[in-house]
Amino acid sequence: MSDEGYCVLLFDSVSSTLLAERTLKKKGISHKVIPVPRQISSDCGVCIRFRPELREEIVSTLKGAVEFRDICTL
Amino acid sequence: MMKEIDARGLACPEPVVLTKKALDRHQEITVIVSEKVSEENVRRFAESMGCRVSLVRRDADVYLTITRPAHSDTAAQPDRPDVSCRPAAEPAQGPAAAVIASDIMGSGSDELGAILMKSFIHTLIDIDPRPDILIFLNNGVKLAVSGSEVLDDLEDLSGKGVDILVCGTCLGFFDIKDKLAVGRVSNMYEIAETMLKARKVIRI
Repeated sequence: MSDEGYCVLLFDSVSSTLLAERTLKKKGISHKVIPVPRQISSDCGVCIRFRPELREEIVSTLKGAVEFRDICTL
Repeated sequence: MMKEIDARGLACPEPVVLTKKALDRHQEITVIVSEKVSEENVRRFAESMGCRVSLVRRDADVYLTITRPAHSDTAAQPDRPDVSCRPAAEPAQGPAAAVIASDIMGSGSDELGAILMKSFIHTLIDIDPRPDILIFLNNGVKLAVSGSEVLDDLEDLSGKGVDILVCGTCLGFFDIKDKLAVGRVSNMYEIAETMLKARKVIRI
C-alpha cells in the first residue's frame, strides 16, 4: 500500500483535521490529508499522514491548538 | 394448408406464445417475424421443443417454418414459455473516465470540499477498479499544476497507467499553462470524444 511507512494522526472530527491541517501548513510542516486507512476505524473519515521523523515536531506544534485522538504507524 | 402466424411487430413474448399455441394444434407452421429478438426467441423455443426450424428472409421479414416431430407434444408445456424479452446485452466496453471539473468535491463548504477532493484522489491509488482516464476541467486543472497538494498522487496514478487529460483552454484561462506538472494538455475534441467513447463517465 502506498501509505506504508508513514504515520497518521487521527481526529474525532473533520473540523479538528481541518484545524490541524491549517496549523501545520502555517508552520510549513510536511504532511498530507488522506482518507483514514480501511484497517483503522475512526469516526472521522480523514486523517493527516506524515513521515515518522516529524512526529515530535507535529505533536509539539499541535499541542494546545488541536486535540487529536491517536497516532498510528501504517 | 400450412398454418401461418403473422407475428410481425408484435411485442415480446407474443410471437412465442402464438407459436406455441399454433404448434399445439398443427404439425407444421410458418411464423413471420420482423424483429431480431422475436426471430431468436421463436427459433430457440421451437428448437427446445425438438422441432425442425428452417428460415427464409424476405426483405425485413423472416419466415420461420417449424416442423414438430410426430411424437412431440407442445401442449403439455406451459402456455407462456420462459422467454427473454431483452436482446442479449452487449458487454460493456471502453474505458472508465472520471471528469474532475472542480478542485473541490461537492458543494456546501469549500474547505471541506478541498479535503474531500484530496481524499478522493488519494483513494484512487488503492481502489480496484481504478478509472482509466482522469479529465481535469475548469477549476479542476489547478489540481494538476505545481503546488497542488495532490500532485504526488496524480503522478503515482499516471505511473500506474491512468491517462490524465488536462483542459488546455482552462490552463490558459487561469494563466497556469507553464505550471502543468502532471498529465498532458488536451483539447475539447479529445475530451468530448473520450467521454463519448467511455464505458462509464463519472463526474466529480
